[in-house]
Amino acid sequence: MRINRIKNSAKKLLILSTAAAASLAMSLTAFADEPYNSYSYDTWDEPIPSQSGYRVERTINGDGMDLQRLTDPSDPLFVSEDAAVGLSGARDMFYDEEREEFWIADTGNSRVLRFNKDFQLIGRYYGADGESEINIDETTGLSNFMEPGGLFVTTSPSTGDLTVYLADTENARALRLKIVSETEAEIVTEFTRPDNGLYSNETFMPNKILADNAENVYVVVRSVNSGAVQFSSDGSFTGYYGANRVQVTAAVIAQNLWRKIASNEQIEGMRRNVPVEYANFDMDDDGFIYTVTETNVETDAVKKLNPAGYNIWDNSVGDKYEFGDIISGLYDATTNTSYSTRLTDIDIGANGLMNVLDYETGRVFQYDRNARLICIFSTKNSTSDQKGTVTSPNAIETVGRRVFLLDGTKNDVTIFVETAFGAYLHNAFELYDQGRYTDAVADWKEVIKRDGCYTMAYIGLGKAALNNEEFTEALDYFKTAYDQDDYDKAFKYARDDFMRENFTAFVIVILVLIVLLIVRAVLKKKGIKLIKKKAKEAE
Amino acid sequence: MYEFTTLGWLKHVIFHPVEGFEDLRWKKQGSLKLSMLIVLLLFIEMVAERRLMGFQFNMAYTKVFNVVPLLVQSVVYFFTWVIGNWALCTLFDGEGTLKKICIYSAYALVPYIVCGFISVFFSNFLVQDEAIWVNAIYYLGIGWSVVLMIQAMKACHQYTFTKTIISMIFTLVAMLLILFLAILLLSLFQQLYVFGYSIYTEIAYRIRG
Repeated sequence: MRINRIKNSAKKLLILSTAAAASLAMSLTAFADEPYNSYSYDTWDEPIPSQSGYRVERTINGDGMDLQRLTDPSDPLFVSEDAAVGLSGARDMFYDEEREEFWIADTGNSRVLRFNKDFQLIGRYYGADGESEINIDETTGLSNFMEPGGLFVTTSPSTGDLTVYLADTENARALRLKIVSETEAEIVTEFTRPDNGLYSNETFMPNKILADNAENVYVVVRSVNSGAVQFSSDGSFTGYYGANRVQVTAAVIAQNLWRKIASNEQIEGMRRNVPVEYANFDMDDDGFIYTVTETNVETDAVKKLNPAGYNIWDNSVGDKYEFGDIISGLYDATTNTSYSTRLTDIDIGANGLMNVLDYETGRVFQYDRNARLICIFSTKNSTSDQKGTVTSPNAIETVGRRVFLLDGTKNDVTIFVETAFGAYLHNAFELYDQGRYTDAVADWKEVIKRDGCYTMAYIGLGKAALNNEEFTEALDYFKTAYDQDDYDKAFKYARDDFMRENFTAFVIVILVLIVLLIVRAVLKKKGIKLIKKKAKEAE
Repeated sequence: MYEFTTLGWLKHVIFHPVEGFEDLRWKKQGSLKLSMLIVLLLFIEMVAERRLMGFQFNMAYTKVFNVVPLLVQSVVYFFTWVIGNWALCTLFDGEGTLKKICIYSAYALVPYIVCGFISVFFSNFLVQDEAIWVNAIYYLGIGWSVVLMIQAMKACHQYTFTKTIISMIFTLVAMLLILFLAILLLSLFQQLYVFGYSIYTEIAYRIRG
């Protein structure tokens, strides 16, 4: 009896626990929909609904990053009791692939934070030791940072040290720092305003920074529109790199005409047409530098610069590269505001995917190696309290299947993870870009199952069919994708193939025609009319 | 001499651009029915150029195909041309009648239509590298039709060459004016309709109380 009861209660417990587990599982599977409608652009450059390539995984704020360790006296990372335990207006984030660490330039708190790949705090830097006279802290003797706007982390090719390049904006300097420990950094080189005739700006406010393998340092400086300021590894100014061009608008053309007839005094009074400085840049594994320009421009919105500073994605040579929202001046009826694209950050992932962040709409545009749009995700929300929406997206980083978005107002990091659809897309694009069209077929088919309007899938399938000499299918796919150039190529092959197969028939038809013509000519010469009746009737 | 059927006359004027229309006028030939058919064919050619052109050449591939603009571009433009020219021939001392202008203009359009159909046909067998053939045939048609149109107007009104050109340019201006007035009239009538309709609704509400 008693055993039975125990058994019964055990049973009950089991049922209860399974029910609880089931409900838990249910609550997990009933994942909230993304706070945005996924879309893509079709052949006619019109937005078309699509599947989500990414979904929101979670958001981490200062609490989740263990920033309270900074206020714990027993902790090795302790700073002071009243140290800020949240981010404040952070403007840049960098992922160090080698050590799998995140670095954040916590601009508002004038510090640099270091995290492991799970976003747990492992280091903090408020200033650096070394030969500097700028902003010296009286108690610690360190040269403190002031509102750093950008950073870049790498292993120095010459010394092998963990090196951080920091754009120390308000201190008007850029730094090359050698990281000594979790809290200590040492200044290797200090880059200040170049004392050079070529550098004509009064101020030197570095916003973003990069360094290439030869340890040349590129600095995006506020209100310098001649390109990135370039320094050699010893700290000397070497010039500018990859300036933007002026976007040709009607106003610019009109002004150029006026300049031809205006007097010198009048020309002085005119507004100068200067290019827009770029907002941010990133470097891929091959050393190409990618830049984004924040102001709404079509010329040079995103550039891929080779080491000589020439833009590879140049529309003026006849290509058609488009970035961000294609329609300029999007209107949102619910908030009664109109948006225009403002690309603020770019990230080239290890997998070659390029993510471009639009500050104005909070959208992330993902492109493949050849600047083809893969998917669009994330959004800005005026209420900003919904998970997965951002208020002022400042930086983007990619780590494997995840995309990290740093928000400068909500002071958190939103993590997006690729969906099944996204995974198929990435596989397919990767294979496609390698030219392995046939291998990509399975992935494209999965993509089409989920989004039948995905144009690239049809192009991919068409190329695979063309490779396998299935011309009818290829023509069909290219027509669906409205890809005239590839259709043309396929048509050429299909036509040659058709001619080859039906060569005998062609020859016979031509021979018969020739014979008929000869017979007709002979008959005419001899005055024999085959159709006599009609001629008589007409008479 | 010059005893042809209706189609024979058409063939004669097309292949004799210099004298053809004069002969046509001399013999008082030309069929209004045939010219209407040609205008219809012009419309069909325009549709074919957009729908049946080989995909690799088709520049007009749109999401939504609308036939109304094509109808305007062929039939409406043709008749405004005829009316505009007829209206001007009084000012320029032309001898043509409305019927003659209509017939002669339509006959002059035939090479354009035929070459259009031929280039549409060939575009289905050629690739972009060989686009020159399609374009050559197409432009040949246009050129031929322009020459014929000048000759047609010259013969129709018994103008000199310079006067023909001037009258044709003025006809284009007249076409613009006609279309402008037509649109004005249309919007006026639309406003009138809206006015009438609003009075009707007002009264209807009041009666219902």
